Amino acid sequence: MDSSDTNALKMDFVSSEALKESSSMEKISMIVDKVKEGDLLVIEGGLTPTEEAELIETTMREIDIENFVGIDIYTLEKDKSSFFGLSKKKAIGITIIGPANVMKTVKKRENFLSMIANLGDSGASMH
Amino acid sequence: MVRVIKMPKFLKRNFLRNIFNKLIGKDKKLKIGLYGHPNSGKTTLANTMTNDWLGKPIGLISEIPHETRRVYRQERVKIEYDDIELDFDIVDTPGIATKIDYKNFLEFGLSEQEAKERAKEATKGIIEAIKWLDDVTGVLLVVDATQDPLTQANITIMGNLEARKIPFVIVANKIDLPEASAERITSVFPQHTVVPISALHGENTGDLYQAMVDKFN
Repeated sequence: MDSSDTNALKMDFVSSEALKESSSMEKISMIVDKVKEGDLLVIEGGLTPTEEAELIETTMREIDIENFVGIDIYTLEKDKSSFFGLSKKKAIGITIIGPANVMKTVKKRENFLSMIANLGDSGASMH
Repeated sequence: MVRVIKMPKFLKRNFLRNIFNKLIGKDKKLKIGLYGHPNSGKTTLANTMTNDWLGKPIGLISEIPHETRRVYRQERVKIEYDDIELDFDIVDTPGIATKIDYKNFLEFGLSEQEAKERAKEATKGIIEAIKWLDDVTGVLLVVDATQDPLTQANITIMGNLEARKIPFVIVANKIDLPEASAERITSVFPQHTVVPISALHGENTGDLYQAMVDKFN
């Protein structure tokens, strides 16, 4: 389905398992291609800082002023214990990436993310 | 017959110090990059620093986002604090964002063509700023204290600095504005050095210079 032709929002949920074998370049191409089509991606886990920087760089190259104005990225974090539970670190649980003109209002609190998707004249809300 | 020429003591000391500095990488030129969102006040801060220490500004500032669309570099800025000298280059980078919509510039009175041109240049500027992450040896991450600091651009910049082991100071800018909250920045980044300042009014810049000497020297 090409969501850019309709008033619908296509959401893809990608497990970390599905991306395990992908190179950074493959991951970034997949993300940018889908977001350019108007899709919203929900990825289990996150990108590395280098991949995030590459994603921004690739997005900047793909912005065409009229149709694609960039992306919005949000993450939900979770506690990750290490050293037999002695130290607690934050790890990315879920990453949500979508077209900037679709992801309109995002409210983020600890363990909670709320987003209003803007689809032309209509609106859709997801929490 | 072999003649042994003894090196004078002070030369020997300099020679050894140079070798030591080379070994620990301290002879590398210090390049401090100013990073952050568009309109967080990077160029205002760069201007305040160069005005304080060189007596001249580095670049133009404006209310319109993405005023700085290419990297500006000011070489050989020397600051002295607490009897310690810090000699570095300032690298003022364009603001990093994940989106650029030319329509936002229309609100500032630009024509459609000017707005589109600015948007195009801004995308190139962001790419250039990201590329400079490979070259800077220290960073001032300038955060607008009136805004939510937990944004993807800030997270990406910090993640990259940590991964590359580049020391950085978070500058909580615009504390002169009533809605500013440096505490909000400290609370979300408790593990990092946060210095509240007003780059525009030169408020608390002494604390920033002190933090730079501590962190980058």
